[in-house]
Amino acid sequence: MFGILTYRKPINYIILLNLLAYLFIFYNLKSYKFETFAVGLGIILLVCTTYLIIIKNRLGDEYLFLIVSMLLSLGVIMIYRLDNDAGIKQTVWSFIGLVMFVTTCQIFRLIKIWDRIAIYYVGLSVFLYLITLLLGRNINGATNWIVIGGQSFQPLEISKIIYILFLACYFKKPNQLFFEGMGFSETKKEKLNKLVLVLFTFLNVFFLMLQKEWGSILLISSIYIIVLYVYGKNTLFFICNIVMTIPIVLFGYFFVYHIKVRIDTWINPWADIAGKGYQITQSLFAISSGGYFGTGLGLGRPDMVPAVNTDFIFSAICEEMGILTGVAVILLYMLLTYRGLKIVLRVKKRFNKVLGLGITTMLGLQTFIIIGGVIKLIPLTGITLPYISYGGSSLVSSFIILGILQAISREDYADVGGEIDEGE
Amino acid sequence: MKENKKIIEVLIAICSLFFILVGYLTYIQVFKSKEIVQNTYNRRQYQADENTTRGQIIDRKGIVLAFSEERDNTQQRIYPYSSLYSHVIGYNSKVYGRSLLEESYNNYLLGLDEYTKVFGLFKSSNQDKKLGNNLSLTIDHELQKLGHELLGNRNGAVVAMNPKTGEILALVSKPDFDTNEEVLAKGWKAMVESQEAPFLARATQGLYTPGSTFKVVTAAAIIENGLDEERFNDKGVITIDGKEISNSGRKAYGEIDLKKALAVSSNVIFAQLGVTLGQEKLEDIFRRVGFGTDITFDIPVSKSLFQYEKMEPNDMAAVAIGQGKILVSPLHLAMITSGIANNGVIMKPYLVSNITSPTGKEIKSFKREEFKQIMEPDIAAKLKNMMQEVVDSGTGKKAAIKGIKVAGKTGTAENELTAQKKDKAHAWFIGFAPVENPQIAVVVVLEYSGSSGGTIAAPIAQKIMDNYLKDK
Repeated sequence: MFGILTYRKPINYIILLNLLAYLFIFYNLKSYKFETFAVGLGIILLVCTTYLIIIKNRLGDEYLFLIVSMLLSLGVIMIYRLDNDAGIKQTVWSFIGLVMFVTTCQIFRLIKIWDRIAIYYVGLSVFLYLITLLLGRNINGATNWIVIGGQSFQPLEISKIIYILFLACYFKKPNQLFFEGMGFSETKKEKLNKLVLVLFTFLNVFFLMLQKEWGSILLISSIYIIVLYVYGKNTLFFICNIVMTIPIVLFGYFFVYHIKVRIDTWINPWADIAGKGYQITQSLFAISSGGYFGTGLGLGRPDMVPAVNTDFIFSAICEEMGILTGVAVILLYMLLTYRGLKIVLRVKKRFNKVLGLGITTMLGLQTFIIIGGVIKLIPLTGITLPYISYGGSSLVSSFIILGILQAISREDYADVGGEIDEGE
Repeated sequence: MKENKKIIEVLIAICSLFFILVGYLTYIQVFKSKEIVQNTYNRRQYQADENTTRGQIIDRKGIVLAFSEERDNTQQRIYPYSSLYSHVIGYNSKVYGRSLLEESYNNYLLGLDEYTKVFGLFKSSNQDKKLGNNLSLTIDHELQKLGHELLGNRNGAVVAMNPKTGEILALVSKPDFDTNEEVLAKGWKAMVESQEAPFLARATQGLYTPGSTFKVVTAAAIIENGLDEERFNDKGVITIDGKEISNSGRKAYGEIDLKKALAVSSNVIFAQLGVTLGQEKLEDIFRRVGFGTDITFDIPVSKSLFQYEKMEPNDMAAVAIGQGKILVSPLHLAMITSGIANNGVIMKPYLVSNITSPTGKEIKSFKREEFKQIMEPDIAAKLKNMMQEVVDSGTGKKAAIKGIKVAGKTGTAENELTAQKKDKAHAWFIGFAPVENPQIAVVVVLEYSGSSGGTIAAPIAQKIMDNYLKDK
């Protein structure tokens, strides 16, 4: 009975964190709302239930989910502290996300056609971009939201997953993707397929440019380059791709005002604190105010930072929980990347391997791009911090990704006889 | 497997990126955060100010010297006596920050004690404004005002303290400036560039050559060494190591004793005795009266300087008459004067007597505390007697008060300007009264006044002592 209360079980730390955090919020925010505890217990319940499902059904690697649930808890805590209503919504989204996580994990395992429907990926991707272009609403300065039945979401979150699925299809058999049985010679076929890959990548970049999603462009290009580096057989082609990005970046800097502003404010945000440098300087104020241990939950002023729920949530964590928690968060993402790539290393199937690699690098790089942006290490691009930032579509798509990774890990373990605790 | 090797390379690359994040975050925290936090655009700095009505500052009789008020939705700090307390209370400005008492007692004035800091009860969404704590000063507003008026538009300082308790009764520095935010903003730039240095709190942070007032310190060493019974021959001029030292107006006093020498402020005899005492004994008495000791006070105080390694005979002569490379702050000199008045014991000076919560509950009170003993009571008694002679028949006659025994010493200090041009000496007066039961010790300095301490500083001290004692 008391066996569950052991310090050896990492899940207990997550429960403890939640209990303490919501107690602090309850006391420090002085609104004394009992819904605070409802949110906290809700999250604990969600996390524990999902964890049990993973253990009981032997869904593969348990640490992936443990790391993510810690991040998720920190996210909901911070969002609830900043905005109670948003926190409740985020709890609901967490529920949906976790359902999607388990569902995706099962669907991905049971339906085995994912590597054969490349053409549909292209079609769906184009369709999503086009409806965004046609029906997109402007929310928070970006015209890439679709509103259906009062709920808004960003299709580009799905597009990113589709792009990785497509990459996996391509690298499974680089010269047999399309144009099979159309009478082309092998070399011709290979070249045509390579062309499709490049064109599809450019298509993504092009549509993202229309949406001014520079962060996502950076992300997709990086994944493309990394996967190409690992699986591309042709070094010359790889170098060509690298070289090609240089004029694009230069073009962006000199001719796209938006990018130039981002880079200039990155180099010296202090020149125009009240104007262009506002976001980044406010973020730095928040981070610096926290010190090593933070001001304490509910005791700082992260609400002074714009978009603090989404892009700048890391600054809020640093202000109220301290740089040390900030470092801990970074290390959790590092562990997640490590865990993900470790699974990828053991997977046998080429399709799953590429998919896992793409997903894991996407999580890692997305984290680097946004945290690096808010601490002024690299130019700021507005993307969300996976599992922590407020927002339904971001959270749900991150959980879909995790579901896929979980499913891949299960196959990996299935290969070695369904052993869950490998004891390494 | 070649691919797995490359995946490990990717893993290493991404991990390095994460380590760079950690490194940069640490770098910001260690090297940049202080500067960033103090940026004027960081509204957090004024957060506590916004949510709290800053406490009042009152004088010893309850007269309000500083308070805060809501004006046009922002809180304003109001100083009803404009410039009178610019070098005591200082200013509290959103633009220029805080100074002096406003700075050192900021947490109390905002009601942030350690408990609230740790458990953080200053919060973001405020329902009602918090009230800060109030400070009661030891300052006597009437005396402060009088000192301010008496200095007029001359630069200098007046310090009055209770020698028995260490309470500071008046602390005037000139030039001063209006500390109310709007006026401050208007004059800021001009004041920063001004040669008069209006931001320098003369009384606490100004360092001056003490001149003849320091003969009392030398006299203490002379008495301690049993030289006070002897008689000396004053010819008006003496040459020590080829350097000539003369009395004021080269006046020769002939055969006189130490008491008379102090009363007429004989440079010749004190210089001569300085050489007789030697470096060791001079250094000893200087160290005892507080050179090289940090004075902990409610607002910053400059450390008095004794800048000698190896002293030549003419250095000893110079130091014995309060010249040479020694510098003191008026507050420090007031403490030494109080020490003599208080039978050889300096009391720790203090400005804030107690802190009370908005509901009137006493949060903290400051009691009298010994700073240090500088001489034996019998030495102090002899010095008192000699200093009384200065006022009764010597250079300090203008400090005399009818019916009350006053002790004092005048000073006219040479400085870097007198070397080039005459009429730029600092005029000093130190004194206390009544001699038999000292209630007040006063120091007056008028910088670069060009007149003697006995002529212009002594009357100011006289009025202040008279006023205070009458008032009691």
